[in-house]
Amino acid sequence: MVTKINIKELTSSHLKIKGLELTVGRFVESEDWAEPMGPTPYPTIMDLREWDLKLLKRYQPFYSPLSDFCEFCTFGKCDLTAGKRGACGIDMAGHIGKWSLLQSVMGASAHTTHAHHLLNFLIKQYGGDQPIDLGSEVEIEAPITRLITGIKPKKLSDLIDVVNYLEGQITHLLSATATGQEQNYLDYESKALHAGMLDILALEVADIAQISALGFPKGDAETPLIEVGMGVVEREKPVILCIGHNVAPGSEVINYLDETGLYGQIEVAGVCCTASDLARFSKGAKIVGPISRQLRFIRMGIADVVIVDQECVRADVIEEAVKVGSRVIATSDQLVGGLPNLTNMDEDTIVQKLASGDAKAVVIQDPVKVGRVAVKAAQLIAPLRANQKGYDKDKVLAKASLCSLCLSCTKNCPIGINVGLAVNTAKRGDPSLLLEVFDECLGCGRCDSSCPNDVPVLTVVDAASEDKIKRERFKIRAGRGPIKDTEIRNVGRPIVMGEIPGVVVFAGCANYPGGNNHLAMMADEFAKRRYIVVTSGCAALDIARYKDENGQTLYEKYPGDFDAGCIVNLGPCVSNAHAVGAVVKIASIFAKRNLRGNFEEIADYILNRIGAVAIAWGSQHQKAMSIATGANRFGIPVILGPQGVKHRRAYLGRSEDYGRWLVYNAKDGQLVYGGPSPEHLLCVVETPEEAMVMASKMVMRPNDTPKGRMIKISNYVSLHRQLYGCLPEDLHLFVRDENDLPVTIKEEVLQIIKQRGWKPIEIPDPTLLSRMVMGGR
Amino acid sequence: MSKAVPWDEAEVRGPKLAYTITPENCGRMIRRAKRLLIVVGGNILDEEYTKAGTLHILERIVKKTNATLAISAGVFKAFHRFEDAKYAVNVESLVDRLKDGNWMGFDGKGGYDFILFVGSLYPFQSMMLATLKHFAPNIRTLTIERYYHPNAEFSLENLSFERWRDGLEALVKALEA
Ligand code: SF4
Ligand code: SF4
Repeated sequence: MVTKINIKELTSSHLKIKGLELTVGRFVESEDWAEPMGPTPYPTIMDLREWDLKLLKRYQPFYSPLSDFCEFCTFGKCDLTAGKRGACGIDMAGHIGKWSLLQSVMGASAHTTHAHHLLNFLIKQYGGDQPIDLGSEVEIEAPITRLITGIKPKKLSDLIDVVNYLEGQITHLLSATATGQEQNYLDYESKALHAGMLDILALEVADIAQISALGFPKGDAETPLIEVGMGVVEREKPVILCIGHNVAPGSEVINYLDETGLYGQIEVAGVCCTASDLARFSKGAKIVGPISRQLRFIRMGIADVVIVDQECVRADVIEEAVKVGSRVIATSDQLVGGLPNLTNMDEDTIVQKLASGDAKAVVIQDPVKVGRVAVKAAQLIAPLRANQKGYDKDKVLAKASLCSLCLSCTKNCPIGINVGLAVNTAKRGDPSLLLEVFDECLGCGRCDSSCPNDVPVLTVVDAASEDKIKRERFKIRAGRGPIKDTEIRNVGRPIVMGEIPGVVVFAGCANYPGGNNHLAMMADEFAKRRYIVVTSGCAALDIARYKDENGQTLYEKYPGDFDAGCIVNLGPCVSNAHAVGAVVKIASIFAKRNLRGNFEEIADYILNRIGAVAIAWGSQHQKAMSIATGANRFGIPVILGPQGVKHRRAYLGRSEDYGRWLVYNAKDGQLVYGGPSPEHLLCVVETPEEAMVMASKMVMRPNDTPKGRMIKISNYVSLHRQLYGCLPEDLHLFVRDENDLPVTIKEEVLQIIKQRGWKPIEIPDPTLLSRMVMGGR
Repeated sequence: MSKAVPWDEAEVRGPKLAYTITPENCGRMIRRAKRLLIVVGGNILDEEYTKAGTLHILERIVKKTNATLAISAGVFKAFHRFEDAKYAVNVESLVDRLKDGNWMGFDGKGGYDFILFVGSLYPFQSMMLATLKHFAPNIRTLTIERYYHPNAEFSLENLSFERWRDGLEALVKALEA
């Protein structure tokens, strides 16, 4: 960690100093890095505030309170409805601003802890000198780290300073949420943006460390096709199921299987991002599915041993697993679950305790030991619980007879599925509606605990769908990690010029109505239209759970290059760093901008020139919102599905507000109109149709060349016509000149927009930073 | 005696809660609106709304009131037969404009004094109503969903499908009377 001391002017009897900048602290060698240090290495809360305020002036926070109260201190709870202030003086905008910061801090701290644990483990196993190596075609190995911290990490131990920096900043941010600290909603949001940016940095640290040390794919387009689905696990074998995000315990299971020659005799599967990482580690690992499969797969009892690490582990997993006779090993200090800590106990004793049932769930905080214990225990336990795997369908379905059609389950379903009617129809002998529910259900189990008659609603749905579950087998390309520099060289120009209409990233969780097919349908549409489609996290898994008319998943149908008309699976949610990293690399490789400690300039470049947008259709938790907020600070807009409204905050532009869209023309410093592009930084849409049309609009940038804008408008208009059945009302706002219009619609559109008072404008060399005028001269 | 409870049992709010009104009173209230805006959500084509003939109900309300229709863009296609003022919108951005007292409406003739909501996923609509309740308390909001929405100013009670479907008919009759 380094500290900067800036002395503008100092005069004493012995000394006169002017413009001295001293940097003190541990340095990471970067002698082969010629780039000069930018203005904000290791930025603190205040360093990028001006940038945030520029964003927030254009994209103003839009708040939807999830509760009318503040319950943060003993003065309250206080009703903050309609302008009232709480006893501490806070109003609703400030209160939601605080929530906004809290969400981002929770997300950033979870990923930072993840990076911290993983880094410690990898340094212990492979040494701090293990080189950071993302392959010969990835020279800019850590674009986010270079940009934010100003260091060029070469070995694992170089990342320690970055983690220290993250932890320090997160403490400061969390501190600002205490009563009596920050009070202004815009400053809460600035801090939330800071936290989001830190989150993206933490993601990168975690992923480049594991890619370098564990031999994950290094940007290969054709990674192995991995099996995904609830039907892919061979239940006849001993089964070890890993849940969470930290690959270390699971990878040690596989290492031990390799060492002992047991590989292939024991099933290793995962749910959520740990699963994606295991698939990067070994192509024999299986992916059960996204977070929506967690509770249901546990309840099926197929896993003999369940290993939980951190993040996205359901709070009832340990209890549910124990209920069906599985044994549980908790491995992270982030989730100890009230269990006894046996880390220091002799390995064979732990195995005996687990096998005998003397201990059904334990903590072991040593991934190597977890690997050995899990394998040995699974071998002993599996034969004992052979008849506990899968549902007794008739017995479960018989419980539907308890249903009184009170619809309490329906009322409690987060996405309004009429599951009560389905259960009641099954009670009357027709389970067909249960099969329909299965396709849309998020697997949250809220319906179960709401039933006054103790119908295990979710289990009834799944037992009825047993055949579907067995047939649930798909193929996903293992996460490829970074985007190669060579790919950036190929696509940088067409993206910035707009000839590739945009990069559309599908990220986030599985919290959406209508089933996962919507996600696949959207990804398919953009790939067909030759956008670059990128997927990650649970969204990547959900996109795999769909086959086209030829029986192929989208990963089989489209190549995995970072290029027009391809679908790239980056990997788990830590791999989101590579999506942001790719646009940062475009600024560096294509536009030759300096990265080093130069956040604001690069974010300004991305916002004004790179047509990237993310769709987090099923955003569920704080980490998703934090990553989205981080992307926003980098100038990347994000679209959330309808459930995302419960994050409480959006950043909305107002297309008709001329003043918000003024930019400096870098050529001459004039403030000119750049148009509402992108129109929003973070917005919620209701339908997949809306998400698609919105995304096609949100990839427009003020800097698009006429040819590029023409391609983007062409897609916007054609999607609008296809999905809404008409021309866009706001088209005039995106046509800067007649040359922006595709010939096929030019005459028709010109006539219409001229009636709306449209006048051509000059295409600026856009920037929000006055210091960038004339290239900073 | 009955107490109005939110349809989603966890959507507990307070102390400012929607008044429950009868469908007939909804109709009368709509009749008195000067500048009525109807916000149609992205789920309006879901089975339940279709079975209740909601589109036809909306058509009749518009005919009687000259209301402006703001339709969640993803379902706009289904409204092409509507001849009156209609706009494809992102509902969140629309609500952002509604809470701004300076917004002059789609036609530039001024804001809307009465907003009728229908056709969104329950939690989505609830949050949009919450935004208006907190940040634009002077705007009158009414929801004609089948379910009680505590964040509106006026809402129907939770109703059975049949009572709701018949209620919508009664609402229009009261408006047309
Ligand atoms: S488990 Fe499925 S049906 Fe039950 S409440 Fe959750 S999403 Fe709804
Ligand atoms: S809550 Fe229970 S009793 Fe009520 S409808 Fe659902 S399954 Fe039936």
